[in-house]
Amino acid sequence: MRLPAIFLPPALVLALSILLPTSALGADEWEVVHEESILGFATTQMGSRFEGRFDFSADMRFSADDLEASEFDVTVDVTSARTGSRDRDQALAEPEFFWFEEFPEAYFRTTRIEHIEGNEYQAVANLTIRDITHEVTLPFTWEEKDDEARVNGKVTASMDGGLTMEPLEWDVGSEEWVKDGSIGRETEVFVDLLLVRPES
Amino acid sequence: MRLRNTRANWGAVAKFLHWVVAIAILGNMGLGLYAAGLPMSPAQMDAFFWHKSVGLTVLGLVVLRILWRLANPTPELPPTMSAWQRVAAHCSHFALYLLMIAMPLSGWVIHSASGFPMQLYGLFEVPNIVPESADQSAVQDGAAIVHYWLFIAICVLVVLHVLAALKHHFVNGDGVLVRMLPFSRASDPIRGG
Repeated sequence: MRLPAIFLPPALVLALSILLPTSALGADEWEVVHEESILGFATTQMGSRFEGRFDFSADMRFSADDLEASEFDVTVDVTSARTGSRDRDQALAEPEFFWFEEFPEAYFRTTRIEHIEGNEYQAVANLTIRDITHEVTLPFTWEEKDDEARVNGKVTASMDGGLTMEPLEWDVGSEEWVKDGSIGRETEVFVDLLLVRPES
Repeated sequence: MRLRNTRANWGAVAKFLHWVVAIAILGNMGLGLYAAGLPMSPAQMDAFFWHKSVGLTVLGLVVLRILWRLANPTPELPPTMSAWQRVAAHCSHFALYLLMIAMPLSGWVIHSASGFPMQLYGLFEVPNIVPESADQSAVQDGAAIVHYWLFIAICVLVVLHVLAALKHHFVNGDGVLVRMLPFSRASDPIRGG
């Protein structure tokens, strides 16, 4: 049955309001300046610390005065992991660790962002690695920079944060690897981002 | 017990270094082969950890051995040996010293380029000897090939070394083998030799 033409405009509005995320209206959208940003991790191997980093893409919406509408949606290219050792990078691809073939991406999706104090916040998010999702809390600082720090005329902000997690909870690695300290049980994940706000 | 060498005999220090290095090398060849055959695993990391620790120990001991040898008289070869046998003996010994230095060094290069952290016997960090600017993968692959061929060369020379020593003892009937044996009387100038 065809709807009379009179119903079209309201239907369009309804469809748009469903399709467009409401958060886009409230919180500022930010773009990550990847050359100046790091998503990294650090743990130990045979007692010695090493660091690695990932490539990632991120939809970042953040307004200090509208945390309700703020959210981070990060997709991590786990196959891009670089730890300064070819052997180790190759090992990460194995089913015992990230299993690149099966699970090339990991996801960090906030469910809420809370203010702690000053410029300190925390993001509660679902972190999906391989096919396992756990809730994690990422404390971070968010600092909007002065006009002097503008990049190409755009307002910039920095986001710094980090959390400690146990990769085993996501089936990355195995008890065998961590029980004698071949690899540290805990991994620090850190983010150090430079962001620009396109529309201003 | 005499520590220093004489023109006729090896002293206790030279013998000790000879046998400790010999055992360490044989053990480490087995350990290296075993580790290389394992899949990437904690067991492999453990095996390489010991392989590297022992290998660097050999490097240190061989440096000591060479210094000690230079600071001591070298026991002479039996006068019954022909000129070519003397040349062969000197050449093969020189080659063995060279290999005992080159083998751990090439391993150290592989280790450095691999980017794996490593603490000698878990005590202190082993420094990297490959500059960061180098193409780590290429250096690692190249050094691994060198390490492999040095391994083959050591196998050949050790077999020759052992056969020559046995020939001295059983065919020539001289004291070349016996004077290197630990606690051998031949090394004691008072009780003989």
